[in-house]
This record gives sequence, C-alpha cells and structure tokens, in this order.
Amino acid sequence: MELAGEYVFDGPREDVWEMMRDPAVLATALPGTQSLDQVDENEYAGKMHVRVGPVAGVFSGRVLISDEVPPESYVLSVEGRGGPGFGKGSGRVQLIDRGDGKTLMKYEGELQIGGKLASVGQRLIESVSKSLLRQGLESLNQALQTRLAGEGEGVVEGREVEEEVEEIPYRPPSEAQFATAVVKDVAADIAAQVFSPENQAAWVAILVAVVAMAVGFWFGRKSAERR
Amino acid sequence: MTKKWVGQRLTRTEDPRLLTGQALFVDDVEIPGMLHAAFLRSDYAHARLQSIDVSAARERPGVVAVYTAEDMGDAWQHGPPLVIPPPTVEDVVFHTRTQVPLVKDKVRYLGEPLAMVLAESRYIAEDAVEDIFVDLEPLEAVVDLEAALEPGAPLVHDDLDSNLAAHLVQDKGDYAAAREKADLVIQRRIVIDRCVAGAMENRGIVASWDKKAQHLTIWDTTQAPIPVRNGLAGMFGLASNQVRVIAPFVGGGFGPKIMMFYAEEVLLTWATLKLGRPIKWIEDRRENFLATTQERGQVHDAEIAITRNGRILGVSHTFLHDTGAYDPYGLTIPLNTQSHAMSAYDVPNYHSDLKVVFTNKMITTPVRGAGRPQGIFLMERLLDVAAKELGMDRIEIRKRNFIPPEAFPYNHKIIDQAFAELVLDSGNYLATLEKAVDMIGYEEFIKEEQPRLRAEGRHVGIGIVSFIETTGVGPYEGARVTVETDGRVSVATGVGTQGQAHFTSFAQIVADQLGVSPRDVRMVTGDTAEFHWGTGTFASRGSVVAANAIHAAAKSVRAKILKLASKVLETPEEELELEDGVVRVADVPRQSISLGELAALANPLRGAVEPGTEPGLESTDYFGPQYGATANGAHAMILEVDPETMMVDIKRYVAVEDCGTMLNPLVVEGQVHGGIALGIGNSYYEQLVYDENGQLLNASLADYLIPTAWEIPRIEVGHEETRSPLNPIGSKGVGEAGTIPVPALFAQALEDALADYGVEVLEAPMSPNKLFELLQAAEHKT
Repeated sequence: MELAGEYVFDGPREDVWEMMRDPAVLATALPGTQSLDQVDENEYAGKMHVRVGPVAGVFSGRVLISDEVPPESYVLSVEGRGGPGFGKGSGRVQLIDRGDGKTLMKYEGELQIGGKLASVGQRLIESVSKSLLRQGLESLNQALQTRLAGEGEGVVEGREVEEEVEEIPYRPPSEAQFATAVVKDVAADIAAQVFSPENQAAWVAILVAVVAMAVGFWFGRKSAERR
Repeated sequence: MTKKWVGQRLTRTEDPRLLTGQALFVDDVEIPGMLHAAFLRSDYAHARLQSIDVSAARERPGVVAVYTAEDMGDAWQHGPPLVIPPPTVEDVVFHTRTQVPLVKDKVRYLGEPLAMVLAESRYIAEDAVEDIFVDLEPLEAVVDLEAALEPGAPLVHDDLDSNLAAHLVQDKGDYAAAREKADLVIQRRIVIDRCVAGAMENRGIVASWDKKAQHLTIWDTTQAPIPVRNGLAGMFGLASNQVRVIAPFVGGGFGPKIMMFYAEEVLLTWATLKLGRPIKWIEDRRENFLATTQERGQVHDAEIAITRNGRILGVSHTFLHDTGAYDPYGLTIPLNTQSHAMSAYDVPNYHSDLKVVFTNKMITTPVRGAGRPQGIFLMERLLDVAAKELGMDRIEIRKRNFIPPEAFPYNHKIIDQAFAELVLDSGNYLATLEKAVDMIGYEEFIKEEQPRLRAEGRHVGIGIVSFIETTGVGPYEGARVTVETDGRVSVATGVGTQGQAHFTSFAQIVADQLGVSPRDVRMVTGDTAEFHWGTGTFASRGSVVAANAIHAAAKSVRAKILKLASKVLETPEEELELEDGVVRVADVPRQSISLGELAALANPLRGAVEPGTEPGLESTDYFGPQYGATANGAHAMILEVDPETMMVDIKRYVAVEDCGTMLNPLVVEGQVHGGIALGIGNSYYEQLVYDENGQLLNASLADYLIPTAWEIPRIEVGHEETRSPLNPIGSKGVGEAGTIPVPALFAQALEDALADYGVEVLEAPMSPNKLFELLQAAEHKT
C-alpha cells in the first residue's frame, strides 16, 4: 500500500523539525500509542494499539530515522508486529519552508501489512491508515501551536525564552476520539466511492455500517476496560 | 429380486436426526479433562525462523503445554506423500516435498503452524498464542506462477534448483502433424484462479489416548477415516486395532478433508499420547482459509487445430499448475485436467505439457471438480471461439465432434489419476446435449426471444456446454451387512459421510435385496471400529464403489437367508420370496418366517451346526472396478447482464445429468444443485486474492464471496440413464458433476449476453470488476 500526501503546519520549519524529533510529542500524536521511548539517537521503540475494523490489538515496534538532513528531510522506517499481524514501511518526509511562516510537509512511502490485519482488515486498511495519518498530523499541528504560543509570549515580552516559561498544556486527543474520527473518515471514503444522488440504498448501507462500527468499537472498549 | 427401492425418490432417512440436532459432529464430543489446542500460525508467507520464545505462554495460568518443532524430537517428520506420481508415464520429473507438523527452519506459506498451545480452554489457548515471541526473517515470496519459474526467482525449497515441482508431457497421435493440416488454428491464454472448498463445517479433531486400555480414539472431520487410522497407527508405533478413527456426521467435505496428514492430526495425536489427556481442536473460519487445502490455480497456453467444417484435428496446451508450498497429493489434479481436456469429443491428436510449480501458498489438493473444471473450461472455450470464427452454431460444432454411442468403450489414451489410460465406458453425449437444448428452448430463444430482448436494449445471453466426469475409481471399498434378531438390517462401510445421503441411497440397495424397508436399515459409515478396510469418500466414487460393495454383501446375505429359510420352511429356494421383512413361500403366503426369527436361528445357543457353517445372517464383501465409470452431462443457462453494474441475473438454469443407474434421483438432484452452487461461485464470485507478498487479502466470508440463495437460481434437472457396464448396479458418480461445466457455461453465456461488445471471457472466476475492465478494453479497441 502506498501512502503519499502533503500537510501544512502553521509554523516555521525549524520548530516543526524540532517537534518531530521529540518522542514525547510523537507518542501523544500517534493515535493509540501506549509508549514511545528513545532507545538510540535515531531510534524509538514503543507500543501502539491499533484497530482496523474487526481486527484489533497491540503492536510493538520500532521507528528509525535515517538520511537526516536537518531541517529539510529524513527517512522514517517503521516496523511493528503483534497479535493482529505485522506492518512494515518506510517513507521519505520533506519539510519545505513556504516563506510565509508555514511549513509544507510532503511524504511518500510504502506500507506492507500481513497477518490478520491483511487477511481480515484489508478492506478498511487504506482508509484507516489515511485517517490515522491525518489525525496524527493534526495533533502535531496542535502541539506545534501550543509550543509556539509558549515561545510567542516570550518574544512579546522582549526577553530570551527561558526554561521557566510556563508551558501551555497540550491535550492530545484520546484514543476514543481517534476511533470516532476514524469511523467518520472511513465512512466518508466509502461514500466518496459509491455515492450518487440516486443511489439511496448505498447510503442506507453506509449508515448501517458506520453505526455497526461505532457500536463495535464501543463494546470493544467496554470489554477491554473490564479486563 | 424386486427393484422396489433403487431409483425411488425416497426422502433422506438421516434428515430427522440432522434437523433435530441429534447427529454427532466432532465439536459435540466432550470428554472430562479435555484440553483445547490453538496454533501460532505464521503471518508471513515466506520467512526464515530465527528464534521462537514460548516461555511467557507456558507461564500463563491454565496453559498445560506449549510445543514447537524442537520439542517434538524424532516425532517431527515430513508427512508421507499421499499420492505418488503415476509410475505408468515415462520421463516424469517429480520432486516430492511434503508438509511438516510445525515449522523448523523456514515458513513456506501464510498460516503454516509454528507452535501449538494446549490449555484448559480455547480462550486461554488463544491468549497464550499471543504470548509467544517469534522472530521471523521475511523472505521474498513466490506468488505468481510464471515468475516462480523465472531464473533467479526466490526458492520455496532451498535444496531444489528451481520452483519446478513436476514436469510431465503426454501425447496422443501427432499434434504437430495435425496442425499442418488444419484450416484454422486458434490460440488462447486461459487462466483459472484459486478457490476454497468452503465447507459449512470447518475441520475439527478430538484425540484421546486411554492409557489403561492402551487405546487411542480420534474423532476427525476427515473424508478418509481408515487411511488416517492406518497412517497414525504406523506413525506412532501402535497396532491398527489400538486406534479407532471416527468420522461422524461431517458438514461438507468437498475434497480438502481427504488431505492427510494435516499438521493438526499429527500434533493432537502426538500430544495426547504424551500427556494422556484428550485434546480438542476446532478450526475457525480464518484458519480454514489459511490452513485447509485449496484448488484450481492454472495458466494455460492452449490451441486447437480444426477443419473449416468444424472437425477437431487436435488440441495442444502448455500449462502451469500451482501446487502451493508442498506436493503431497502428487499429480491428481493436473492429471484430471489433462484427461478432461478432450472431454466428450473425439480428438485424434493431443499434446499436453504440464509443469507443476511450488509457490508460497497453501497446498492444493482436489476441491469438488478436482482439475476437471479446468480441462472442460479449456476445451469448451476453444470450441466456442472456433465456432465463432467459423460462423458455426455452438451446438453444431459440438455435435460434429462428439464420441458416438457406438464407439464405447473409447480410449482417450491419456494417463489419468487412476494411473491408467482413460477409457470412457459408456454414454450418449448427443442425447444428453439434445435434452438440454430442448429443456432450455435453445432454438426459440435465439430466434425469437433474444432478438426481442436485444431490441429492448437488454443484454441477455444463452450458454450451453457439454462435459464428462471420470468417477467411481478404485481401488476398492467394502461393506458388512447383518440381519439383526429384531428383523432390522445393519450395514457398515468404510467410507465417511459428509452430506451425500449415504444412509438413504445405500439402504435402498439393501432394501431391494433383503425385502425390507430402507427405514429399517441402520447405516454406519466412517467408523473404523465398525469397518476397517477401504480408502474413503472422494472422486465421486461412493455411489459406485461403496454402493456395489454393499450390493455384493447384501446379495450374499440374501443367499444365506434363502438357504436357511429353505430348510426351516421345507421349501426349495426358488419357491421362496423376500418381502416386507419375511421369507415366505410364494404360493402359500401364510407359510413364512420373519428375518428376525431367521437371524436368531442362524446363531443358535445350543445344538450343533453343520461343519463349515458361518454363524448369523451376515456377510462382508468388496468391490473394485476394472476402471472408473465416466458420467456426462450438459448444462444450459440464460443470463442477463446489467452493463451499468456488471451484476448478473441467471434467468434459467438447466442441468442434464447422466450418472448411469440412479440410486435415488432426489439425492442425485441434490448433488447437482450443490455442485452448481460451487460452480457459480467459481465462475463469478469466489476468488482467493493474494498480494505480491503472499498475504491472503480476503480470508473471511465478508470478503470471499460464497454465493447465497440470492445468487443461485432455480435449477431444472433432466436425466439420461446410460448404465455403466463396469459394475452390477450400473451406476456412475455424480458428486462433482454439477461443478465441472459451470465456469465454461458462464463464460459462454456472458459473451453471448454482451455480444455487441465482442468480448472473450478466458478467465475464471470472472467478477463484476473484471467484466467491467473487459468491456472497457473492448470499447477502447473499437
């Protein structure tokens, strides 16, 4: 599966770069991440909970950053495996200074999946991946705003930004918020593929599917909590 | 002997038990102290096993044992080859590579088992599977058949030079010379993809070793209980009478359940012997997609050489057959393809070059049809293309090439799955086709209805094809028939039952011989404690081989009954008759004795019997045919395509069947209906989709489309009965017949429905997507 796209961060390139290399921020921004630790200068290890349709479970994996050209580009390699199967991918991330204080991120990469994730979740994987990516980037942008707001205050007061500057708390979205958004994105994807005004039946089917997925997610959460 | 029951449309005597939940299936077996097994299966299709750590799984509460290949010691063995390549064909290249119980060095297909967990419940066992840490180094997967044979392709088996599993060439006459004389040579590439059998009941096993009795009992969804017993006894050093294999009621076989030995059969047996505790494993649906054998998977480069008046001079094809990661089933499937490529036609020259290919996919073994649908697809498609090129009617081109009724026995001179040249024993192919033509109203449809519908802008087409099916192959089956002292009759035979109505149609044979009602005949199938000689249920052979063994045993019992009754009633045997459960003197009906009383007399408690007398009214007999009986048929359908959605609507479906003497036409029709349902799946819905890494992308019934009642039309069945001269009953098999012609039929009907687009359908299964692409390509061309 190929993943490619663009995203505009509302902030300067150096700040985006710095943030991207902060595991604490990454961990909160990647949906379902339970832990992410820096194990080497360019390597992170962690655990992530993933749900794709009927397939759910925890992946343990590693993230490796290579071919780094600060603050312009790097290659991100991800490898994870767990009960639901495995995923492996790598992609090139480029940060382009737009000159208006914003940063254009371009990414392109390939993701290979296997096991239950592929054999049962295949139908949904592309939509879910795109949704997770979109949400992850939005969270990062939000985190960026929080950081910049902190810096901004310092600038306004006309002195060097010091450690003591109080951080405006950035609240990453919860896993449930992520999941709800995934359901919406997947439904929108399906709708884009099949919707036509005269095709009422398809809409009913999509609605039913969305409700079923939301309910499935809810019960999944409940039973997970009981455990 | 009267023929009161054979041929009757008797309703199935097993149904009350099945419908009221009183039939035993493997999952119904519950034994105190039973453990449950779950398997860690590879998420990669091709990978090297670096390490496997099961320590966390072993510590989980409720887990009794976790085993890897290393734990098995000497018990870790490659499976035995189930079918060897035919010793009768010269210059066969065949590399035997058989499956293993657990991966030791290298994973060769997605889902190959790496470890087995035994726990107090299936829930615990499945959770413990997730505790196992396995380090697999992924390798490039071999998926595409042609790429697999390219130089430098990754190897499924590292010790071989290539992924070639087998190479075999068969010739009849001289194709090259025939080609020279032809007015027309047509070449086409034909592709048939993989499918599952999709039985309603997945596989299941319960294995229980009773230490004190030194006896092993195995309940198994197998189609071959006796070979499973013999094999497992041999593997684990037990006498065959220490092992009892029971194949109880089984919810559908369709071929993959004859494969042996599956890893699970070996592992559960090994573990119960080790632990002394009963163990159950029931396959789930996803496992069924990964761990149960599959079929089809061939690519043909084919050609037909033909005269301008439509007479076939020869057929030639070079083809690849996908055997998957191992080849325990030998060449059975592609041999069936070769022997059916000439089908019902008199083809003087034939050349067939077969290469069998190892891939990183599940093993292929016969699935209902077993190589025959591919052969029929090839021939029928070539004939249809030829008819179009010659401007000839499709019925006419078939008529001009049929083997005539007077030509039987007709030798196709191609070695088939029975290791001998395929000889067609009997048939009347023209009569069968003509009946189908009449039933569907072919002439009327193409002359009146179709032009009218086309004028309305509708895309409605007709298809009609012929086919043969080799059935009833040896080596043999046996049966024991016993008259009980209550006057009822017990019958035991070695074949297992997976829904074929054996309890009914076999009882009808016995009923005719012994003058009882079929409902008073108690059948036992698939239990080695009841009967332990035979091979199994496969190759559409039950109604031929087992049925004739039962027929022979029942005849012997009849002779015993008459002999004893003659003494008791003081009347010569010729004057006696068996009716309504009694033996009576024909002219003096009041002078009679019941079968129950006779059975008691045949097994006296005191007194003396004559020397050489066998006790009881019982007999065991066997039947092995000289060679297989060949059934035939013709199917026709009218189909409408919606060129907007590419969805199809089958308006009418006609199947004409010649399976020789019908034991029970109702059962025959049921078999035909079921076969057609799979055939329709194989034509337009069911396709296993693997990606380039060997990941199966549709391993669920949500994504793999098995047709439902919605997609299956009403089916009209017509019968021809050409008795087989090869067995006393005159029967031929019919279990696979329904499936065989459907992809060829469907393709022809699709082409006819879309005649204005001029498409050729050379692939099975088709799908709405593929049809859309074909139409797009056709539009671009014009």
